[in-house]
Order: sequence, then C-alpha cells, then structure tokens
Amino acid sequence: MATASVSTPLKSHAGLFSSRTAGGRMPLTPSPIQRAAALTVNSSPFTPDRASNDGHRVPSKSVYGGNLAAHFAKASKNHRESPKSNIARVVSTPRKVLELGVSNFTLTGTGAHTKAPASPNAKKPVPVRKKTSKTKLTYNTDRFIPNRSSSSAISNAGSAKIRIRQNHQRPRSVHGDASSILSSATDDAIAALEGLNIDDEEPVSYSRPSPSTVAYQETLADACGVNLKTRILQFKPTPPESSKPIDLRQQYNRPLRPANATSAQFRRRIATAPERVLDAPGLIDDYYLNLLDWSSNNQVAIGLERNVYVWSADEGSVNCLLETSPDTYVSSVKWSGDGAYVGVGLGTGEVQIWDVAEGVKIRSMLGHDTRVGVMGWSKHLLSTGARSGLVFNHDVRIAEHKVAELVSHTSEVCGLEWRSDGAQLATGGNDNLVSIWDARSLAVPKFTKTNHRAAVKALAWCPWNMNLLATGGGSYDRHIHFWNSTSGARVNSIDTGSQVTSLRWSPHYREIVSSSGFPDNSLSIWSYPTLVRNVEIPAHESRVLHSCLSPDGQMLATAAADESLKFWKIFEKKPGSGVGIGSAGAAAKADRPKMMTIR
Amino acid sequence: MASEAPETDKFKVHKLSLKGSAKLVAEFFQYSIHTILFQRGVYPAEDFTAVKKYGLNMLVSSDDQVRAYIKKIMSQLDKWMVGGKISKLVIVITDKDTGEHVERWQFDVQILAKPKSKSKSKSKTTTSTADQENSTPSSTGKEEQPEKDKTEAEIQSEIAAIFRQITASVTFLPQLQGDCTFNVLVYADASSEVPVEWGDSDAKEIVNGERVQLRGFSTQSHRVDTLVSYRLVD
Repeated sequence: MATASVSTPLKSHAGLFSSRTAGGRMPLTPSPIQRAAALTVNSSPFTPDRASNDGHRVPSKSVYGGNLAAHFAKASKNHRESPKSNIARVVSTPRKVLELGVSNFTLTGTGAHTKAPASPNAKKPVPVRKKTSKTKLTYNTDRFIPNRSSSSAISNAGSAKIRIRQNHQRPRSVHGDASSILSSATDDAIAALEGLNIDDEEPVSYSRPSPSTVAYQETLADACGVNLKTRILQFKPTPPESSKPIDLRQQYNRPLRPANATSAQFRRRIATAPERVLDAPGLIDDYYLNLLDWSSNNQVAIGLERNVYVWSADEGSVNCLLETSPDTYVSSVKWSGDGAYVGVGLGTGEVQIWDVAEGVKIRSMLGHDTRVGVMGWSKHLLSTGARSGLVFNHDVRIAEHKVAELVSHTSEVCGLEWRSDGAQLATGGNDNLVSIWDARSLAVPKFTKTNHRAAVKALAWCPWNMNLLATGGGSYDRHIHFWNSTSGARVNSIDTGSQVTSLRWSPHYREIVSSSGFPDNSLSIWSYPTLVRNVEIPAHESRVLHSCLSPDGQMLATAAADESLKFWKIFEKKPGSGVGIGSAGAAAKADRPKMMTIR
Repeated sequence: MASEAPETDKFKVHKLSLKGSAKLVAEFFQYSIHTILFQRGVYPAEDFTAVKKYGLNMLVSSDDQVRAYIKKIMSQLDKWMVGGKISKLVIVITDKDTGEHVERWQFDVQILAKPKSKSKSKSKTTTSTADQENSTPSSTGKEEQPEKDKTEAEIQSEIAAIFRQITASVTFLPQLQGDCTFNVLVYADASSEVPVEWGDSDAKEIVNGERVQLRGFSTQSHRVDTLVSYRLVD
C-alpha cells in the first residue's frame, strides 16, 4: 500500500503519473526498462514531485522535515504489516535505506528541496538527487493511502520487481556517483536510488510521451497474463480521410450492381413515332445541300427546289418566302441567330438575305461562282461554303461583305458549323476533310483532319463541352468521330453502319442523334461518352437528308428524300421540367390536321 | 561437410516455413484491415473492389491513399512478423467527432514454433518468476499444443471462415454513427526495433465494451485468434 501512495504524484500530468508511479513505487522503475529512451521519460516524474510538494506542503516544509522520522517509521510499519509479501518487501527495502539518507538531509535542512544543495555527505551532485528522491519518499509516505487503487499498486509491484532485477543487471553504469554514494545501502536500495536519480535528471527531456502507456501496459498485461515486455505501438500517421460521409445502412442495402443508365428504371423512354409528318414535295435529293433549318423564333425554313417555305411551329401556318428565278434552285437555307433573317444560298453562287417578318429580300451577296451548299451564322458573320471548296465569311452589315476567304477544301464544302461562342468554325467537305478554324486566324485551318474516308456533311459542336466536335462521314465512311478541338485529338469514334447525313447534340441529355442515309434511313440516338446506341428509329423510307433541332432542344425535324418532313420528340424533357417553345408548338400542332402540306 | 550440409538444410527449411507462415499471417492482417474498413463503413463502399482470395470475394480499397497507408503498415508488420515480435494486432475504430473508441478488432498472435529460441527463452527466464502468478494458465497452455502438419488448403479455409465471420458480424455489431476513422495498434516485443512512424500508445480499449470471440486459425508456426469488442449502444 505504501508503495502505491508513493507513486501517486498528483500534480504531474497523467502521463507522468504512471511512470512516476512506477518510479515511486519501485522507485527504480523506469530507466532500466526503457533503455536510453526510457531514461528521459522517467525524468519527468521528478518534477511532479516537486510540484506536489509545493502544492501540499509548501507551508509546512520545515515541519515536514521534523516529522520525517515519524513518517518513515509509520511507513515502514505499514509495510511490514502489509499482507502482500512481495510488494511489501521490495518497497520497504528501499525505504529504509532512504530513511537513512533522508534523516541526514532533514537535519541539514529539508526546506530547500529543489536545490537540495550541498550534500552533507560530500556526495557531490548526487545529494541533490538523493534529496529529491527522499522528498518523494517522505512525501509518499504521507500520502500513503492515496489515490491509487490497491489493484494498480499490486500490478505495479509486480512490474517493479522485474525492474529491480533489471536494474541489477545493468545498473550502475548509469549513475556511478549515485551508486558509490550509496554503497552502504543494499543492492535493492541502490537500485532504487538509481532509479530515482535517473528520474530526477529526466525532467528536462520528455521525449517519450507515453509513461501512461507503461502503466496501462502493465495493468493490461497483468490482467491478461501476457508477457510484460510487450509494448503497444500505434501507427502514428493519421489514416486518410474518407472521401464522403457514409451511411452504413445505405451500404448494406446497396444493390449488388450500381444502377446505371441502362437499367430499366432509369432508361429514358424515347418516342419512336413521329410527332408530325409534313409533305415536302420537290425536295431535292442531294446529300451536299442543306435545305432545312429551325429558327430561334420557332419557325422552320425548308428549301424545296426553287422555293423557300417557312412553317411556323407556333401557328402551324405555312408561308412561301421566295421563289428563285427559273435558272437556279435553292441549295441552302440558314436562319440568323435572332431568327429574324434567313440566308438563302442559290445554285448560282448567290447568297440572299431575307427578312422573314416582312417577306422582303434585304440584300444579295455575290462572290461564289459555284453553288452554295452550306451556310452558318455567327452574329453578323455569314459563312458560306461553295462547291468550289471555298468558304467565304461575309459581314452582312457592310457593303464590302466578304471579309475572309477560308481556303482548305479542294472539293465541295457541304458541312459548316460555328461553335456557339464564335471562336471556332468547323467545315467538312467532299474531299473527306474536316477543318477546324480559329476565328482569329483564318489563313489556315487550325486542324485538318483526314480520318474520314468520305464526304463530311454532318458536323456538331457539343453544347456542354465547347472543345468537343462531332463529325460524321458519308456512305463509304459511316463513322462518327469526336474531336477535341483544342488539342486536335480524336477522342472517340462510332461506326454507325450507314451514311451519316447529320448530327445533333441534345442540349438536355448527354446524347447525340445521327441521321442516316443508305442503308438504314434511320435516326440513332447515342449516349456520350459511352457511345451506346440508345435507340434506332427507322425514320424514313429513303435517306434522311437534313435534320434540325427545335429551339427548346426537344424536337428534331428531319427531311428525307421521300419528300416528307417529320418531327420527332426524341429529347423530350421529363414532365414538369419546364415548358419550352416546342411544347407550345406541339400544343398548337395538336389542333391542326395531322398531315399538312407545306405548299 | 557432408554431414553438415543436411543440417543447415533442415534449418533452412524450418526457417522458411516460419517465414512463410509469418507472411501468411501478415497477409491475413492486410485483408482483415481492408475487410473491416469496408464492412464497418470507414470508407465508402465505392472505394472498394472485389478480389478473389481465400476462395472468397475480398473487398480491397482501391483508394490510392488508403492503399498506401495500409501498405506502409504492412511493410513494417511483415518485418515484425518474421521476427516474431508481435503478439497482437489491433484495429481500433474511433468516432471522429467524439474521439471515442467504438470498436476494437484484436488479433492475437501466438508463435507456436519459437523462432528465436534464444531470445525467447531468455526473456522467459527473466519474466517467468514475476509473471507466473499473474499469468493465466490458459495462455501457457495454448502454447503447448501446436497444431502440426496442416495443409495449405485447411489453413485457407480456416481463414475464409474468419472472414465470413467478420462479414457476418455486421449483423450483431451496433451500427456506427457518424464519421469514423481507424488506427492500427501492434503489441510488439519491447526489444523490437520501432520505426519513427510507430509510437507508444495505450490499448484504446472500449470502455464498458462487449466482447465477442471469433474464430481463429493456425499454421505450423502461428496461431491467430480474433476478438471484436464494441461499445454497447444504450
């Protein structure tokens, strides 16, 4: 019991506490076990002692000294009485020894324990330590019954024993002085003192935080009957953070296979029947022309031979916008961005701009001497691609409209698409080339891609990834290639199995629709970037020549060589997700007869 | 020479088998860590990929950081195992918010064929007298019944049984609340070399925990027992 009290070191931090206990109890405890590292650790206990002294005894120090003898006597008695033979013995021995030393000190002057100054015995530095140790002991005796649970004391006692042994084995070297001084004492006593001394020194360095560990270890080891020499080590680096909070319930319930887009539950239903069919008599069956466009004002323009018709999706009404002179035909139509004007390319190479609301021609722009098969607007710029392979940029605001001549294609240009931000222009031609132009330097194409093996008419810029361009090749090629327009790299390809006549990205879904010529005459909707064909719709009886998306992006219009114009609700938004022009159009259409001749 | 050669050979064989056993146990630890991290939701399930092992689909983290972390642990563990320095491996799951230890997986390792007979016996003599009174008979008793001559397949099936138990244990273990993190503790011989990443620790026992003993397995040289303790939900 007494031992236990010794250890108690109240003030020290918890960590110290344990080590100290060891020290106090078995005074010796620590250092030997710990080896070098241990030494430092043990030191700490010392400090605490002082502190404890101060705290408790400050006022009575002198008294303390006087009482020491009595205390010791008590202590020793107690020890003897204590039933635990082992523990008691071990503990007691050192005490006695100490008593002797203590008494000396007390005589000299207990008060200054800190400095513990001059050793009366001429013991040199040792005395100081001794003294400290002394103090500790006395102190302990006082405290005696102390805070420690008896059980811990016991366990400590066991460990203490071991330690003592160890001390014997490798002891003196540490503190030669101490040992010499105490020569008179028994071995145990010496060991004890050494331990104490060591303790004293250590206060300086705390390198080892774990004194508590020692105590725990011992207790635990005792409890489990495990070898006392083990130590518990922890892998110190903190484990990586979990990437997201986890609900275990979810984890246990989670489906064996993650639900993906292909699972029935999530698959989008795509209407495979046309929403509406219109006749388009006289539609020229020519792959290289672009005769269909849907404006931002929800009007569809279609070029039928020498005429351009405008069908209002809102009202279902049809107007004939113009009729060309008999010596030529309409080779391309394109709405301006605001939907107010339509550009019309003619077989003669003339380009006309019409104000649709007024129904009047605003201007004609000459320059091409071959038919203009494709056009594209970028704000006030109208780009026109001609059979000669030339692409002109026209600034429609100025008299000298031709502002750039893009030379790259050697054969008819049939595909042309501005990126939505107007920074890049993609063109495709009958020479199987795809050219990507930087709007700021049009002298040469930024990239010229030769992967297609047939004419490139279908071009589409991805609405959610500005750098992504899709291009589709003709009947000998049948591929859709996807390009990074910044690096020029081909990022994906699809073999569609038939001529690709047009490509349109869905603005709402990660999908792209392609229209096919021979042999399928179908519409195919592909997921991107998985490139899975979600659906293939047998759309027309002959090849699909042109397609365009409604301004709300839900509806696709296709014109085919079978002289029909069909509307497909392939990118329908989920119900309640907003009402677009298309739906309004659809409502309007619903009132109208199913079949409607544009003419 | 001739007489000597066979002797060294034998010695080698013995050593190798011990080494192999240590490796096997270390590997078991590695999969245990991954499995526990998965089963107890320390990391999200998406981070784990299935790997065929022990005739089971073992889930192993595919997160680079977690893998690297476990790899670092394992590299040291391997050394300790081969040296026979380890008596326990403990995986402690701690609540991140409260710092409370909520679950503690303990793998007790016994070395059946003492590898370093010298050092072992020495430590025995030093401690034995002091220890004897405290040590429970069971621990010494176990050591004396080494199981010999197990086939690889038997060992593998024993290990598989443990993993099945670990997996099944989610049914009785309380659901962990909140974010958790984990620590790996090792009960190592005091004389073993300790790299800087490892430091002394307390046992991180669960306060008022419930304990469940799971299965164990043994090789020619090691016996491993599994114990999980967890905080009772009030």
